[in-house]
Amino acid sequence: MRMKIRPGRIILYLVIIILVLIWLLPVWTTFSVAFKSPQEYLNQKFYQFTREFSIIENLKNTFKIYRLHKHFFNSLMYAVTGAGIAILTASMAGYSIIRLRPRFNFPLFLIIYSGTLFPFQMYLIPVYKLFYSIGLYDTKLGMILIYSAICIPFSLFVYRGFYTTIPKEIEDAAKLDGCGPFKSYLFIFLPQSVAPTAVVALFQMTWIWNDLLFGMVLTRSPSARPIMIALASMSGPSGGTIMPYTMSGVIFTSIPTILLFVLLRKYFISGMVLSISAR
Amino acid sequence: MKKGDQIISYAMILPAFLLVFVLLIVPMFQNIYYSFFEWDGLKAPVFIGLRNYVSTISDNNFIVSLRNTLIWVGFTLVFPVMGGLLIAIFINGIVLENFFKSIFFIPITISFVATGIIWNYMFSREMGVINNFLPLIGIHKKVSWLTEVPLNTFALLIGWTWQQLGINMVLFLMGLVTIPKDQTEAAMIDGANKWQLFIHVTFPMLRPITTIVITMAMVNSFKAFDIIYVMTRGGPARTSETLAVTMFRETFTLFRMGYGAAISVILSVIVITVSSVYIKRMTRKDLLYY
Repeated sequence: MRMKIRPGRIILYLVIIILVLIWLLPVWTTFSVAFKSPQEYLNQKFYQFTREFSIIENLKNTFKIYRLHKHFFNSLMYAVTGAGIAILTASMAGYSIIRLRPRFNFPLFLIIYSGTLFPFQMYLIPVYKLFYSIGLYDTKLGMILIYSAICIPFSLFVYRGFYTTIPKEIEDAAKLDGCGPFKSYLFIFLPQSVAPTAVVALFQMTWIWNDLLFGMVLTRSPSARPIMIALASMSGPSGGTIMPYTMSGVIFTSIPTILLFVLLRKYFISGMVLSISAR
Repeated sequence: MKKGDQIISYAMILPAFLLVFVLLIVPMFQNIYYSFFEWDGLKAPVFIGLRNYVSTISDNNFIVSLRNTLIWVGFTLVFPVMGGLLIAIFINGIVLENFFKSIFFIPITISFVATGIIWNYMFSREMGVINNFLPLIGIHKKVSWLTEVPLNTFALLIGWTWQQLGINMVLFLMGLVTIPKDQTEAAMIDGANKWQLFIHVTFPMLRPITTIVITMAMVNSFKAFDIIYVMTRGGPARTSETLAVTMFRETFTLFRMGYGAAISVILSVIVITVSSVYIKRMTRKDLLYY
């Protein structure tokens, strides 16, 4: 059968190709600028490509001037421990709420889940004040605590949904073998939770890594400030920064989240399905 | 359940509950309480009742910010959401679907701050890329995108669309996959053209996911902060602020803590109202019975 080529179809393809080019332009620009030396950046046209490939040199300068590597490790630590604490506490709570069903399990779930409903602006002032008065302001511990608290509600939601799908027979068998509730969580439910844990890790580590607001409000010194504040300080409405340095920083600080998405990409869709189908 | 098991079951909920209760639930109520005070963060707070809320009406900065917020929401519904839907419908099932999908997906993997920096550069006056393309459409001067009203909000929204469209597209594609083939085929046999197919079959079948995407996109645009902060800091002269940014500025730059708290309460009321559709589905109890 011969395909009919209609003009409408061609126009649609043209539109989508133009859109693709528009979407790629900022990506190409970022790399193009990041590879230029500051001199090249000033002298070359925007479409010319670098001859000096000085991205490593640029990156070294961001380490020297903005201490980017230090903030990078702060945030790496926040992402791993913050999401880690959320994974442990939320999976435990989710298991208890859905499988042990103590009294008030549903109100307890609602109270914890209500933590995702409000914009973060709602927490900033009181948490700032609380952290200031008990010495958690500008500390790594404070940041880990607030990040895990923010991550728990969504994580609980994911684990709660997942644990409804595990057949009851497995639990009964464990009971017969003399497993108490905690043991059956630790040895039966937790090891089966690969999918929800991957979903939580992807979404929550990405969120912690990308956070700007809490980092700005709750920290001051480079020893506690997360990466996004350092990155944001490399650019501004007034300009005045050396763009090749900034763009090399943009690429460098995007590596962890891009890696997470590449490694866990099959969980992105299932995570979306999971959180939507339950809604 | 045995008594010991009962205790264990509560103990397993406790850590999650404590963290959320102490760091989110209690602060939320404290924040509402603070919104009734005039307070600079240093001196003792003075109770002023509802005056913080009343004074928003006559505060020009607040009005501009509220108007910008509504522009953000409207723009988000047209470009990232409807654009995402149209692209999803077009690329669904064509040969290069995965290629197109990945292109629009790229911005999701980077942060709002990175997006803000990239678009700040794209729109910058002297070295920016956008101004280099203007002669192509007959404009031969340099435009100050980020410092002129209303161009600054427009520039922010372009960056926002670049990042947000992909996620909506992916969600719509998810919805399109679930539409049974025989439905569309039956309509085609009945002689429906592409447009009729869309209006009478595809779109109604997408209803559930459309509701979710629209709510999510609206809530996200109400909460938008990072891109604005990075690209314009809400400026110049507070002309590109949205409520989320205004709250931050009033509280942590101008130290009007009580007023900032009141704005965050207003923002929360709006967000909760918009997402109430969502919450209703969320809190269904039927998930509990396995």
